[in-house]
Amino acid sequence: MILTIARKEMIEMFRDGRFRVAGAIVFTLLAGALLLGWQHYREVAAQHSAAQKATREQWLGQGKKNPHSAAHYGVYAFKPKVPLSLVDHGTDPYTGVAVWLEAHKMNEFKFRPAQDATAVQRFGELTGATVLQLLIPLLIVLLTFQAFSGERESGTLRQLFSLGVKPADLAAGKALGTAAALGLLLVPAAAIGAGALALSSSNGELGASWARVALMALSYLLYFGTFTAISLAISAWAPSSRAALIALLGFWMLNGLIAPRAASDLAKGLHPTPSAFEFAQRMEVALKSGIDGHDPQDARDQRLLQQLLDKYKVTSVEALPVNFTAIRMQEGENHGNEVYDVLYGELWDTFDKQASIHRTAGVLAPGLALRSLSMGFAGTDFSQHAHFAKAAEEYRRMIQREMNGDLAKSPTNGSGPYLAGEDLWRKVPDFAYTAPDAAWVVSRQASGFAVLLGWFLVSVLLAIWSARRIAVW
Amino acid sequence: MLAQLIKVEWRQLSADRSTLAAALLLGVAIAYGAYNGAQWVRFQNTTLQSALAEETERLAAIRSDIPKLTAGEKKVSPHLDPRSPAAFGRGVGARYAVMPPAPLAALAIGQSDLYPYYFKVSTGSKQTFLQNDEIENPAHLLAGRFDLAFVILYLFPLVILALSYNLVSADKESGTLAMTLSQPVRLRKLVLAKVGVRGTFLAALALGLSIVGVALGGADLSADSAGFRLLLWVAVVILYGAFWFALAVAVNALGRTSATNAMLLAGVWLLLVIVVPSVMNVAVKSAYPVPSRVELIQAMRVAGDEATRQGSLLLARYLEDHPEMAPPASPGSAAPPDFYALNIAVTEQVERKVQPVLDHFDRQVANQQAMIDRLRYLSPAIVAQSALNDLAGSSTHRYQHFLAQADTFHRQWREFFNPRILRKAKMSAADVGDLPRFRFAEEPSGAVTGRFVIAFLGLLAAVGLVAIPGLAALRRYPVAG
Repeated sequence: MILTIARKEMIEMFRDGRFRVAGAIVFTLLAGALLLGWQHYREVAAQHSAAQKATREQWLGQGKKNPHSAAHYGVYAFKPKVPLSLVDHGTDPYTGVAVWLEAHKMNEFKFRPAQDATAVQRFGELTGATVLQLLIPLLIVLLTFQAFSGERESGTLRQLFSLGVKPADLAAGKALGTAAALGLLLVPAAAIGAGALALSSSNGELGASWARVALMALSYLLYFGTFTAISLAISAWAPSSRAALIALLGFWMLNGLIAPRAASDLAKGLHPTPSAFEFAQRMEVALKSGIDGHDPQDARDQRLLQQLLDKYKVTSVEALPVNFTAIRMQEGENHGNEVYDVLYGELWDTFDKQASIHRTAGVLAPGLALRSLSMGFAGTDFSQHAHFAKAAEEYRRMIQREMNGDLAKSPTNGSGPYLAGEDLWRKVPDFAYTAPDAAWVVSRQASGFAVLLGWFLVSVLLAIWSARRIAVW
Repeated sequence: MLAQLIKVEWRQLSADRSTLAAALLLGVAIAYGAYNGAQWVRFQNTTLQSALAEETERLAAIRSDIPKLTAGEKKVSPHLDPRSPAAFGRGVGARYAVMPPAPLAALAIGQSDLYPYYFKVSTGSKQTFLQNDEIENPAHLLAGRFDLAFVILYLFPLVILALSYNLVSADKESGTLAMTLSQPVRLRKLVLAKVGVRGTFLAALALGLSIVGVALGGADLSADSAGFRLLLWVAVVILYGAFWFALAVAVNALGRTSATNAMLLAGVWLLLVIVVPSVMNVAVKSAYPVPSRVELIQAMRVAGDEATRQGSLLLARYLEDHPEMAPPASPGSAAPPDFYALNIAVTEQVERKVQPVLDHFDRQVANQQAMIDRLRYLSPAIVAQSALNDLAGSSTHRYQHFLAQADTFHRQWREFFNPRILRKAKMSAADVGDLPRFRFAEEPSGAVTGRFVIAFLGLLAAVGLVAIPGLAALRRYPVAG
């Protein structure tokens, strides 16, 4: 019975020119967005990996230098483009692409790609995610808002029930019909996406990606399922097709347009972001006078010197068998690291909390949870940007330790300035970054997933319940 | 007759609960949007005030420190010594270039959350201070802001469509249309009355609340040309609204059912507000791709390495080009050029080398903008967005204007310090009073008005393009059957 209903639904949809046109437009946009995403990914990934190689060569080929000069010269870390960004760019346009890893200082990521675009960018980009999050749900609404109300208005609902069709079966058949119609659109698009992904993942990232792909697909399917079930429920419950359409358009708008903005405000209200100026001021004070503001650098240097003098049982800096400047600089690095850990830790923690507000607010609008999951599995959300930033910072600290360590062993009172060469530069391994695996993402996104699953289950129950209680008139 | 029609329409409209709901929704959204915009302006102003206060305090401290340092009462490491013009200009005495929010900034956050609104200008290369981005969760930048411009661009049309998708079809479906038209009244007059009532109601609501909201939020309407710009802002909102009304009339004129009208209008809204802008965004990016900025970083690095290698050679060349800056020849001056002097020459050389790369970025973005300027008429939403941002002073244009002024100030700053560095002069306490100071000059009103007129005509054309055939089609409207 369910299959018969589903088949009838499909035939009806195909005969309706409006759906053919809408379906064709959505498919074209989705396929186009995926292909463009793939092209963009390839270009940027190539640029970034070439730059990463070049920065390494510059580091190795910097010639004879004092290790501290080399530390100041530093290297750049370029954020790698993740393959699944071809589906969802996420926050990529709004996070910097590169960071300079130099002595003394943890720098910010610079150059947000959106700054090199026009204001039209702010309407949203044409990506797979845009089509999947905005257009497909709208298509679902258009396919289903008349499911029950239309039958009722044309008088066929009574006929169906008089034949003994169970309301739940009717709902299931209609859901299945919609799913099949969407499948015709989504399966080829998914094939295009998967093909693009397979082509772009030749460099060994493939294995890490498929679990992400599967989870991302599951998230979208749950969302589409939720939308279908809600549409059916409202179609059964609404007094007229018109009312059903208006209610569903409202729900769609809430999810796609209003909730993301409102949730941002809510998140910022609950966990305020400091201004860049405030942040820099706090940083400066903490670097100068210690995190608590009561341990100025002079005092710290004095203590360090005393410790070393006691340790080597000498009375002057010159008599030390080690290079005091290098040790003091490393001590400064350690102090800086402590400050960076606290301040950036706080900032990133704020962003994390804000992201969790977005996921939790998904209870009110499932689209929020989906956005978060989609970016998360694509690898383009802020937490994965921070993951890279932390890895880059660790690498910076390692360079400082190597350079200062080498300098510390150098004679203080030798002839001429101490110069190191490529041997030392080679002691710093090439920067290798591994993106977190799917399990890492799942562990952070669990609440979003739970919210989405909850929406799905509740909306299915709601659809069945509404279908059972449907008014035939 | 018309007065009577309007009266009847108004009664019907005000008796409808859905009108009230739509009006309430719009009202709440506008109030919230205005509040959000005002908050953002307040945030920027607070930041700018603390930056300028910090600068004043720092310079005052330097002024009182210099004599103490000279007298040996105070000690400081050489790279932080304000008496050294290099240390002063590069960091300890650097001054801010500040772009305060425009008087109507609360109306549209626009691009102002993406671009820096103040720089700490130093003698270093521009690239060292230009990337002074405000801290913001990138997920929030992605989502966009709930400001008045969002309400006007996205929600206002939807409320208009909700109140007018069944402008004629509802009367036809309920059977009152034939009755009304049996009176000596034309359908077009009836439609105009309906649109007039709804339009006046919504425009009064939207504009009234916006202006009150923004005024309460602390917008400075007494500022130069603010009142005029507000007037232009009102004109854009009215025209943009008129477009959506015209669209509703045109769709109604097709003679379909209310449900079909609703679907069609929702589809057109989606097309014009979501699909066309995102496709256009992709199109301009493909036509004029901006390479990743990693290319700029690499170019700077390569140029920097090369310039460092040639260091002293570059300094000699620099002094040949700028003989006025050469240090006075001292007897037997075979002393090696000092680090700071070398640095000036190296920085200048790097900047010269990198300029073509920077130009390439700027050119591509400018090309994108030019293409958008041509194509934007495909969607009134884009035309309205550019006009609203422009009037609120949160457009890329105003930012570019600020950048150009910051550039001039940067040059003045260097011209003040570089000769002192090369002469190895010492900064005195009196010099602190002579420092160049940045003063932001607003874009000339004419430039803004010029861009506005083009956008305005574009919107007007869009309204005409939809309204004229729509009204013409109403003549053939199948009143019965």
